[in-house]
Amino acid sequence: MSLVLNDVTVSRGVGPVISNVTLEVKPGQITTLVGPNGAGKTSLIESIAGVIIPSSGSVVMNDVDITKFSKRKRSRAGLAIVEQGRMIFPSLTVRENLQLTARTKSDFDEAMALFPELEKRMNNNTVLLSGGEQQMVVLARAFASKPKYLLLDEMSLGLAPVVFMRLLPVIEGIAKSGVGVLLVEQFAHLALGIAEDAMVVTSGRVSYHGSPKKLTSDAELMRKSYMGE
Amino acid sequence: MLLNTFAGLTPGVFYGIIGILLTLMAQLTRTVNFSQMGVGMFGGYVGMTMIQKLKIDMWLAALVGLVIAAVLSGIIGWIIATWLPNAQIATRSAVTVAALLLIVATSSVLFGANHSNFKPLLQNNVAEFNVGDVKLFVSQNFVVLLVLALVILIGSSLLLKRTMFGVRLRAISDRQAAAELIGVNVKVLNVGVWVVSGALISITISFMPASISNDYISFSLLVIAGSAAALVGAFKNPWLALLGGVLIGVLQGFVSALPALAAYKEWVTFILILVFLLWNQRKEVWDVAR
Amino acid sequence: MSLANSTKKKAAAQSSQPGARSFVKPSFIHSPWAPAILGVAFVIVAILVGLLLGTVTDFGYTRMAQILIMMVLLLGLGVVTGTAGMIALCQLSFAAAGALVVEYMALYHIGDYFGQWSFFFYMICGTLVAMVMGLIVGLPALRLRGVNLAVVTLSLAFVFDITIVGIGFPAQKTGKFIDRPFGIAGSNDASALGATALVILVIAAAIAVGVVYLQRSRWGSSWKMVAFSERGTASAGMNVQVAKLSAFIVSAAAGGLAGGLFEMIFRQGVTTIYGPYASLVIYVLSAVVGSYLVDMAFFGGILSVIIPFILTRLSWPLYIGDMLFGVLGIQALTTGSNLGEDIRRGIRKRGRAAKLEAIADVPREAIKIATVPIPKGTGKPLLVVKDLGVQFGAVSANANVNVTVSEGTILGLIGPNGAGKSTFIDAVTGFLPHHTGSVEIDGLAIDKKSPSFIARNGVRRTYQQDRVPSTLTVGAYVRFVTGGKATRAEIDEVLDFFECPTYYSPLSLVDVGTKRLIEVAAGVAAKPKVLLLDEPAAGLDHEQHIAFGERLRQVPTKYGVTLLIIEHDLDLVRSVCSEITVLNFGEVLASGSQEAVLSNPEVLKAYMGETEML
Repeated sequence: MSLVLNDVTVSRGVGPVISNVTLEVKPGQITTLVGPNGAGKTSLIESIAGVIIPSSGSVVMNDVDITKFSKRKRSRAGLAIVEQGRMIFPSLTVRENLQLTARTKSDFDEAMALFPELEKRMNNNTVLLSGGEQQMVVLARAFASKPKYLLLDEMSLGLAPVVFMRLLPVIEGIAKSGVGVLLVEQFAHLALGIAEDAMVVTSGRVSYHGSPKKLTSDAELMRKSYMGE
Repeated sequence: MLLNTFAGLTPGVFYGIIGILLTLMAQLTRTVNFSQMGVGMFGGYVGMTMIQKLKIDMWLAALVGLVIAAVLSGIIGWIIATWLPNAQIATRSAVTVAALLLIVATSSVLFGANHSNFKPLLQNNVAEFNVGDVKLFVSQNFVVLLVLALVILIGSSLLLKRTMFGVRLRAISDRQAAAELIGVNVKVLNVGVWVVSGALISITISFMPASISNDYISFSLLVIAGSAAALVGAFKNPWLALLGGVLIGVLQGFVSALPALAAYKEWVTFILILVFLLWNQRKEVWDVAR
Repeated sequence: MSLANSTKKKAAAQSSQPGARSFVKPSFIHSPWAPAILGVAFVIVAILVGLLLGTVTDFGYTRMAQILIMMVLLLGLGVVTGTAGMIALCQLSFAAAGALVVEYMALYHIGDYFGQWSFFFYMICGTLVAMVMGLIVGLPALRLRGVNLAVVTLSLAFVFDITIVGIGFPAQKTGKFIDRPFGIAGSNDASALGATALVILVIAAAIAVGVVYLQRSRWGSSWKMVAFSERGTASAGMNVQVAKLSAFIVSAAAGGLAGGLFEMIFRQGVTTIYGPYASLVIYVLSAVVGSYLVDMAFFGGILSVIIPFILTRLSWPLYIGDMLFGVLGIQALTTGSNLGEDIRRGIRKRGRAAKLEAIADVPREAIKIATVPIPKGTGKPLLVVKDLGVQFGAVSANANVNVTVSEGTILGLIGPNGAGKSTFIDAVTGFLPHHTGSVEIDGLAIDKKSPSFIARNGVRRTYQQDRVPSTLTVGAYVRFVTGGKATRAEIDEVLDFFECPTYYSPLSLVDVGTKRLIEVAAGVAAKPKVLLLDEPAAGLDHEQHIAFGERLRQVPTKYGVTLLIIEHDLDLVRSVCSEITVLNFGEVLASGSQEAVLSNPEVLKAYMGETEML
């Protein structure tokens, strides 16, 4: 029982942006994927989300091959994706954003409970919220759908690290509740801090897979991954 | 003059409803639906033909027209939602221009070049009163249309704000791709909007003021007055669209009372469109955000 | 069979390789005389066919004239709807205006200064009136997108028709007929109609040739550019409004001329042919056939005359033809294709395997790139940006950004995702007029100026997104970007230098990575003072990256163009930039020499999101 990417290759225009990537996200665990801009992290997430279809390889969720599923079908099968950028619905209130995915009142309440500070903003249009609050809404909205797997693409983009740090324990909590989390981040240290499993992607390939601790302690490896040779 | 201006109120509200529907469609489905009146007209003529050939009741015929219009509108919406799900508004709207041509041509073939005019369902006046020595009438049509306009305005705003259906529609309008990712069935909802809009335009036509001309093309092109009304609200605000429609109707009524200008009353719409487009484009806008 | 298959596969593999050069050799079609020669040839063939048809069948001269007039209408419409990508629904109103003016002047002998040639003077007047109409209708729809043009043109078609029906054509009303030019008899016998059709043929052919030359010119390129990307057009130094308006006015002119031609054959205006319904039909027909292509406009003309002809013969309702157009129109507009492009694609596919094989056979020229050191420049500050700030609502995307690019160098602008690098370029090139701070190029203040002004005054840019329209050829695109200032030899040289496809290669056959290269080459060929490159190497493989870096290093000395480059591949930055500025959260984090910046531990931390607070 896990979310598995089997030997996935994604081509866009010219050539492969991801070559033969295999990875596994286990329920209840956080897998952190780091790497510089343009390494193919977003394409990877999009191939799981069904925004792009891999040219080869398969995506398997709890033993079901979902490679050819539509976006909607994936979502109903228990996959929640938070795309890059603030994917709020700006003209909807905080409450309405959550209602979109919450199937029951208790799902809604549990999601609201993730961020008590959103309580007083409940009836505000999300466009009026700060960047950090908007990401809270997006995260709560994804959790309200009671996903089996949660993919987070660069939640930290444009956020000050302090704000991002507020989100991290919540993500940890979501994982503890049994959700498999794939955390894709450019901000490596913070994201690796809460992970059970770590991967580095450079130029569309997995260049490291192993313990997050070993990765963070190896300064030379980190520098090479980000700054080139 | 007062008589004419006042008489412009009824067509004004009629234009207003077209404008409201165009605005809602533009907001919810990113399409300016040029075939809108054509769709309603087609349903109307099917109903009329049934009255003549099958001698069915006028109200039943109106119901048949409504169903035909709703289905036809749904088909156009389905075509656009299936093949142009992410296209820009101009590309999506262009399809409705071809649909309009198809509808007008089909009507000419099916119902013949010489067709009788629509008979409004209601023809009586509910009130009359005197202002000075001018006698003014308030027709049943006017009352029904005004109520219909308010029902659509208030109803749509309640629907969009208070129901989950409406919340999903607004989510699609905000960010279609993101809505799809969280499992909203974009296509079904989009087609739903088209169906409802087709039904509503059919109802509106049933209570159309008798004075409005109806050969196939000029009837279908009442969508122009509707889009002029919608432009007053910049295709965003349906309340302003109603106001715009009334403004056009009243101005046309006023102009038709002036002997020198009466023949040019249709230019009112054109000039309003020019003015509001010029006003709306005072800010620089680019084709894409970045 | 298997052999053919394997060569096809080989060819396909070759074509997907970025940088594999496509050698489309210049042929007769590309020569500047081609349209004129083809036009004359067309006239001769048409006369022969006309003699045949006109005498043999009842498919008479009038119908031939109608085909040609429809062709002119469709060609004009093709400029707006096909080339410039707008919806215009009043083509026949322009024709009506042209016809009305001609009829009025001819009937009352106003301005008959040129004897038998006066008719053409009337036509010119009618065309001018149509152009003015086009201007009035086009103006309010310039900044807003296509739908608004559809609304305003449809509305014009409607009210203009009512007015014309109201006032009527003067000849029709008085029961008179106007004179044809050159003293051609007014009668409707074969010789008079034949002579008239001949005159119309020559004029229509001349218009068609003229439209082809326009399409090939800088104007034509600007219409194709603006249909694909307004931002791209402005960055090439062309005013977006001018590009759109010129397309619209050309289209209106064709409409006005067609109206004059109608008068020539019928000698009296007929209000029914100019209504909004006719404009709708012709718009849809234009979309179906792809009438921006001359041959397809002609074909559309034939369709619009032959289908009613056949239907009449069969005694079927004429509207069946329009129903057919409606269905085909829905199909064409939902798929974004048209008959002309489909046919061309079919022909190209056949020829393509052979062509690509030929490319594969050409040994890739091992262009020896001289290895030059990183350029040091003259030390003179060229682009000076002071205290630049950009606010998006509550978010400040750029704050107090100071950047100076010295002449003859390559400055690297780096930073994590969302640091405000592209915002910086947008602000400098005039796309964010509400920015604060000042921008100067070589002493000239360019903040608050329009993007096209900035582009013309020495600051150019490329885009992360694809802004190179597939509808142009490589050469036409580069020529357009350079504003027609670069000579053919200069363009070829730059294309060679960056190992781009050759001048006549259609961009529709070029992959995205190579398109980017072409965009850079075009930017260099335009010889701006400073060229800002936004991730130019994305989509190139490692080897090409290195070659690209080698070339970039030569640009400042070879072409006199100073560069600023946004790039996430730090290997490339390391190989070309003497100076680097790092942005983080919209502010300058570090700035200075390459060695100093890249060894700065703060920079690595910014990239990984580590901060002092931890």
